Amino acid sequence: MLLYFLITCFSFILFIKSLPLKPLPPWADEMRLLPLRFWKDLSLFHISVLIKNTLPSSYLPLVPYNMSLIKKSLSSKVENVAETEEMSVLDLPELALECILERLPPAALCSTAAVCSSLRERCLSDHLWEKHMKRKWDSIIGPAAYREWQWYIALRRDSNNLKQGKHKGLMRLLSLSWPFSSFRSKVNDTGKQRSSLPVDSIMAWYLALETGRFRFPAQVYNRENGNVGFMLSCYDAEVSYDCRTDTFQARYPPHGRRAAAPENGVPWERLRAPPVDTPPHDLHISDSLHELHPGNHIEIQWRRNKEFPYGWWYGVVGHLESCDGNENYCRCQNSDTVVLEFNHYTPGSRWRRTIINRKDHREEGNEADGFYGGIRKLKNENEISTWKRLWPAEVLE
Amino acid sequence: MSSSSSPMQSTGRKLKLKSKDDETFEVEEAVAVKSQIFKYMVEDGVSNGPIPLPNVNGKTLARVLQWCQKHADPTITEDELNKYDAGFIDVDQAVLYDLLMAANYLNIEELLKLACMRVADMIKGKSPDEIRRTFNIKNDFTPEEEEEVRKENAWALGP
Repeated sequence: MLLYFLITCFSFILFIKSLPLKPLPPWADEMRLLPLRFWKDLSLFHISVLIKNTLPSSYLPLVPYNMSLIKKSLSSKVENVAETEEMSVLDLPELALECILERLPPAALCSTAAVCSSLRERCLSDHLWEKHMKRKWDSIIGPAAYREWQWYIALRRDSNNLKQGKHKGLMRLLSLSWPFSSFRSKVNDTGKQRSSLPVDSIMAWYLALETGRFRFPAQVYNRENGNVGFMLSCYDAEVSYDCRTDTFQARYPPHGRRAAAPENGVPWERLRAPPVDTPPHDLHISDSLHELHPGNHIEIQWRRNKEFPYGWWYGVVGHLESCDGNENYCRCQNSDTVVLEFNHYTPGSRWRRTIINRKDHREEGNEADGFYGGIRKLKNENEISTWKRLWPAEVLE
Repeated sequence: MSSSSSPMQSTGRKLKLKSKDDETFEVEEAVAVKSQIFKYMVEDGVSNGPIPLPNVNGKTLARVLQWCQKHADPTITEDELNKYDAGFIDVDQAVLYDLLMAANYLNIEELLKLACMRVADMIKGKSPDEIRRTFNIKNDFTPEEEEEVRKENAWALGP
């Protein structure tokens, strides 16, 4: 009996010795000395570690197996330092890394975010993308567009929550009882933790704008590409960006029952963020009527009939008929009547001028000449020069 | 920057520096103050012994001082300086990181910017795979994460 026992011990020792290609881990010694105890403690766990240790060491960090299961993915820093102890860009101090990432254009920043998880964490940071947002989109993204964005992300958040709610309970149960990485990553996915872009991040906004997924309210100058009927006007539209052509598609609200065809290829120069928060069908309350005097630049709302949306039309305040235009003797400012001139029309044209009452102007007009609505006095030089830039080459009828 | 003597004159005071591997360097004050660290030391009154720099090795310190020398020269034109910088920073990654770390440690803003810009230029225009290969970075995303990240990145690689 004893002989039999000794033989099994011996063969076991030989077995142990032949298995690993590298020095045995410390606990193996204990195994040799106390074979009985070893067999008693044996679990699936230990045998698989033994097998693992026969593989070349460069693929497996020598950490306890249970830790690598339960702990979330190892920080990429450990894996990224190459075998030869060379320095990697990830080893640079934070300040230097920041310095580098700040100098990347948006496309490169996006690509870098796809390289590894630690870079991704840094590349998703809001302050990096804030600069790009400002630089590219500041001129046409205004408060209205920002509100639309809040709506957009609220809707996406809601739909994400609905999806997660279904799976959360089951997945959590499975991950506790079956600690393999594939299930763990599924939990991560539904938990949307490590890799997914937060819906309310600035990067998400930037990408949504660039890819054209996000449509936002803006105003288009000289719509329908110089259509004579809309010269020196600015109309509200829902726009989306086309990054291939660096232009926009504009969708206008319908004129009555007739849907307006979308306009493609709208360049940046013909777009602006709505300067006031008045929706296109609402009358803007004029607040500077008493200030208006000859020479002022203005925009006035105008629509063909009451079913159509307003557009904003550019004009200047002119002199009354009784005034000869001499600055020293001009008393036009004291009058209740204000003359508005649209000098891109010929002098005989019915669109050339209109008269409004300074005291109680709201909306005035008729079915023939259309309806004149609220007035904005232009104070900003940029706005005025933009209108001048868009002046038609030929005078209109 | 020292307002009195030009760095070419030998009457300017010198600073003694000692690198991590015990190499010593002597450098004009006007050149050394390109580094904010030395600038404060000079303003506060420098000690007589060599200043130890345990974070910078001799080779890198020599390069950095060469750069400072060039940039402290008042006779050099901006064009020449730009050309010099372009050649100076065209080095392999290991040297680049050494320069970057030294510029960071010694607080030499312009050199840090130059080195960071160089790394940024190495990243621009590359796909994530190419970036990984250039910088020897391991992809540690799971396949699901990889898929999500790739979708997001389709825009960057697009037109």
